[in-house]
Amino acid sequence: MTMDDFKSIALLLTILIPAGAGTLLVFFPRDRATPIKLFAALAAALTLALTILIFAMYDYKEGGYQFINSYPWLDRPLNIDFSLGIDGISAPMVLLTGIVMFGGVLISWNVDRRTKDFFILFMFLVAGVFGVFVVRDLFFLFFFYELAVLPMFPLIAVWGSTTNFGNFIRAKEYGAMKLTLYLVAGSVLVWIAIIALYVAAGEFVAGKGIGQASFSLEGLAALSDDGAFSENFQRIFFPFFMVGFGVLAGLWPFHTWSPDGHVAAPTAVSMVHAGVLMKLGAYGIIRVGMTLLPHGAEDWMPVLIGLGTVNVLYGAVSALSQRDLKYVVGYSSVSHMGLVLMGIATLHPLGTGGAVLQMFSHGIMTALFFAVVGIIYERTHTRDITVLGGLAKRMGITVVFFAVAGLTSLGLPGLSGFIAELLIFIGVFKEYLPLAVLGVVGAAITAVYVLRLLARAFFGPVEDPRWEKLSDGNPRELGVSAMLVAILIVVGVWPLPLMNVINAGVAELLARFPGA
Amino acid sequence: MPTMEWAWLIPVLSFAAFPIIAIGGKFLPGKGSFLAILAIAAGFVLFWFVAIDRIRLGASGVDFFTQRWFEAGSVTLSWGMIIDPLTIVMLGLVTFVALMIQIYSLSYMKGDSRFGWYFAVHSFFAASMLTLVLADNFLLLYVAWELVGLCSYLLIGFWYERRSAAEAAKKAFVTTRIADVALLVGILLLFKEVGSFSMSDTFREAQALMAGGESLLTSGTATAAAILLFIGAMGKSAQVPFHVWLPDAMEGPTPVSALIHAATMVVAGVFLVARAFPLFQASPDALLIVASVGLVTTLVAATMALVATDLKRILAYSTVSHLGLMMLSLGAFGYTAAIFHLLAHGFSKALLFLGAGSVMHGANQTDIRQMGGLRKVMPITALTFAIGALSLGGMPVFAGFWSKDEILLSVLDNRHGVFIALTLVAVFLSALYMARAYFVAFLGDLKEENRKAHESPLFMALPLVLLAVLAAVFGFIALEWTSDFTGIGSFLFYDKPHGFEFNVALGVGSTAITVAAFALAWAAYRTGALSLTPFKRGFFPLIKLAENGYFFDHLYQWTIDRLVLVFSGFIAWFDRVVVNDAGVDGPANSVRHSSFSLRRHVTGRVYNYALGMVVGAVGVAVAWWALVLGR
Repeated sequence: MTMDDFKSIALLLTILIPAGAGTLLVFFPRDRATPIKLFAALAAALTLALTILIFAMYDYKEGGYQFINSYPWLDRPLNIDFSLGIDGISAPMVLLTGIVMFGGVLISWNVDRRTKDFFILFMFLVAGVFGVFVVRDLFFLFFFYELAVLPMFPLIAVWGSTTNFGNFIRAKEYGAMKLTLYLVAGSVLVWIAIIALYVAAGEFVAGKGIGQASFSLEGLAALSDDGAFSENFQRIFFPFFMVGFGVLAGLWPFHTWSPDGHVAAPTAVSMVHAGVLMKLGAYGIIRVGMTLLPHGAEDWMPVLIGLGTVNVLYGAVSALSQRDLKYVVGYSSVSHMGLVLMGIATLHPLGTGGAVLQMFSHGIMTALFFAVVGIIYERTHTRDITVLGGLAKRMGITVVFFAVAGLTSLGLPGLSGFIAELLIFIGVFKEYLPLAVLGVVGAAITAVYVLRLLARAFFGPVEDPRWEKLSDGNPRELGVSAMLVAILIVVGVWPLPLMNVINAGVAELLARFPGA
Repeated sequence: MPTMEWAWLIPVLSFAAFPIIAIGGKFLPGKGSFLAILAIAAGFVLFWFVAIDRIRLGASGVDFFTQRWFEAGSVTLSWGMIIDPLTIVMLGLVTFVALMIQIYSLSYMKGDSRFGWYFAVHSFFAASMLTLVLADNFLLLYVAWELVGLCSYLLIGFWYERRSAAEAAKKAFVTTRIADVALLVGILLLFKEVGSFSMSDTFREAQALMAGGESLLTSGTATAAAILLFIGAMGKSAQVPFHVWLPDAMEGPTPVSALIHAATMVVAGVFLVARAFPLFQASPDALLIVASVGLVTTLVAATMALVATDLKRILAYSTVSHLGLMMLSLGAFGYTAAIFHLLAHGFSKALLFLGAGSVMHGANQTDIRQMGGLRKVMPITALTFAIGALSLGGMPVFAGFWSKDEILLSVLDNRHGVFIALTLVAVFLSALYMARAYFVAFLGDLKEENRKAHESPLFMALPLVLLAVLAAVFGFIALEWTSDFTGIGSFLFYDKPHGFEFNVALGVGSTAITVAAFALAWAAYRTGALSLTPFKRGFFPLIKLAENGYFFDHLYQWTIDRLVLVFSGFIAWFDRVVVNDAGVDGPANSVRHSSFSLRRHVTGRVYNYALGMVVGAVGVAVAWWALVLGR
């Protein structure tokens, strides 16, 4: 197989390996868990290797869409192609998905109830996520977007956990239902806007007598450049994408599905969900909204940056008074996705580049968070911070890994979060000085809740005699966490390889915004 | 230039020691502690090469380099290092004090279950601080600044099983992080104006502004940036009102306190102001703020040191007070004096803390009222502690005297009369509380429970002696020694070199004040009045105020409990009840309810549907009549 052959099928494989593995798992015997897990791990390892190769082979000097391939799907009357390709923004996301998927499979080793069904759904979930990142066609982007959302419902409702707060209960079914309905509602907005876009493009093309409109992202972008979408049209329909995709990115005030959903979900699903799925929302805003409707985006960016700032502060302040470990992490995700939204909205090479880096960094960080919380919950059967205490004595390494995730989230230099936040703040600072200051304040509040949590739950004397008998994470669990920790450190110290790729993608995106 | 080829190695050696000891320490002899000591000792040797090189080349020489880190958009983010006299003296202080403390720790921390981890973090701490003083780039400085904060968090909370240690570590990190908001905003502001993180570029603009030339900075932005940087420095250097974390920081092992108080963490703030002095000089307002904050801090902390009874706490407040003095000096254009005092204080304070550690190790006491007479059982500790106390008290010929006098001179020359008057009060208090601590702890009769107290072992005594020698004679660095080195004022200076100046009236006056303070303490001690009982009658509310640390802690705790947490609880409640239950579940529930109520009409009985059809038909007819025919 030549290099070009590999490049032409590599992206297809990122979808086919998980989807194929999910399909093959159907034929595995239900009652033998080990072969199922081993097979899933094999598929995940293959996918991870593939994504690393793809990322390494992406030529940032050349930029643009690479690994291009296209299969005709429905010529008439809709003109839809199954076309693939990644650019400097999607390449890091593909790598992120590969890493989180691999970690998620390994951390799910102790799923002992309906193991087969779990891994089948998990594989399709991941296939959907890959699909969104690697297609160049709006129809398929939406198709995979939906495919990624749907397996969440059974994954949470069946394998999730219910949290009792004393004065109220958050049932797993509630979390699953809310998450699914919310995201589907967001999809409806997106779908309306996609159809409007297609129709407008069709009218424009017909008026000029130049063939037929398509769902191709590049084709639509070219039409957008030619003026197919009037400024008024863009101003009306950009919010559909901003809010529709924004729901999945945790945009305030449409964020409440996220903490409840994360908390109810089993560990691996929380990892994929907060780690990768929320990035689909931000990615959608960039890839569809900003690319196709730049004028509309430019008008709405002040709103997005404002809402992003609210996200940052509101999420951080809410996290401060949570008692459940997972809720703290859940609200911190709301806060950190706010930084992504702020960065995107700067339309500044540093700010938007920082946002993409933050998408990657937050994905790894939050996967680590949920993995470690899973390790702890596995042993203590509680996530209540006020009940935990002194865990560091017995679970030293696990606590160190949690601390690394916490330090990343509070923006400690040397870890990836710092660089992302720094770039975002520089970008925001240029035009929205007060918001940048508020963003920095948000990072300080993050320090408060992270350090409070560390002091309360992990340090101090052992609060409960049961914790004296705890054991540290096993090699598999610690291995997964150590991998994620290593990535946070490497990116924090040596961001050059990642930033080169991101710069290429962001430069092309921002070239669409002559005013910015 | 040859110096730079070696200087960067100084922090790198200690950085390299960190992961090796942290991960592989278990398998190494001495849990890898020797690696940490080797790394810092090599750093100390390299420092001498760099320093001698620089002295030979003359003070004007400045050496720097820049290294690309990564690119974002069209901006290249780099990190750079600089070797100038300020860097060099700091390198010397950090490597020497860290080396002494690590040797001391070999004995002090012996048998601790996390012995290896202790030395690993120690290396990381020293490396971060060394990077900080080498930085010629605000980005690298901020990175090192935060890592210094992280290391002190880890070391203050070293015995994290203790609730108080965990809380103290958190308090230190959170307090300094809050101040760091200002620092980061200041750095971003400078980046926005100057377009670079390079300090050299930034300071060139500041100097251009000073000279009235064309500059990217305006006096407004320069002042804003200087004040923001200073707030960051206030956090690290424990200036009022950010000082609350430092006294609690003694929850860490005592050698850690020595490191934090003498050579790392707290001196970072003073260093930052000195490093950014061109910027501060471009803004007289900012400098006045620096001087005022320094003055208030030095007085407030000195009074707290006077009434404290825990030996480490006395020393901690004394550090705050002396840091205030350094800030005051910077604010009074006393650049050399401030750094000179930073060094003299560093050696003395490291000595005193290690002495306190020796007392805790040998007599297992922390409250000076439980000590007394320790001179008899711990002669080396007592003698070296006395030297430290005399130096810090500002007694002539000891190190602290020289630097203190330089500070007084700057304040006298450049600030209002009120400043010098109050500074002299602080000098008096400083001598008084040091004398009190020494007299009560080491003189008098040995208490029964302290009979078993013993002198500390060699590894602990040796650093004490070496530091005591420095605390005694370091001040002479102010004088001319060789034709290359004509006193610290002609090596380390801002603007123009100056020899050692001695204002006779001021020197005699301040010495008289110091002697008077020691005499008063002695008299009070001999008459037993040091228990404060007679004072308490006269100045009761004031003493109460000082004993409670002027209620700063209470105020902050109240703010956190009553304002921050209540507000956060409200937001969390708002999110759950208003945004979620009303905003999200509300519409969902109303859909469900309406579908439930609609379902009741779907009965399956034909006559019900027939009725519906009739009502509907009549309704349509009426509507048609009203809307179409009636028009």
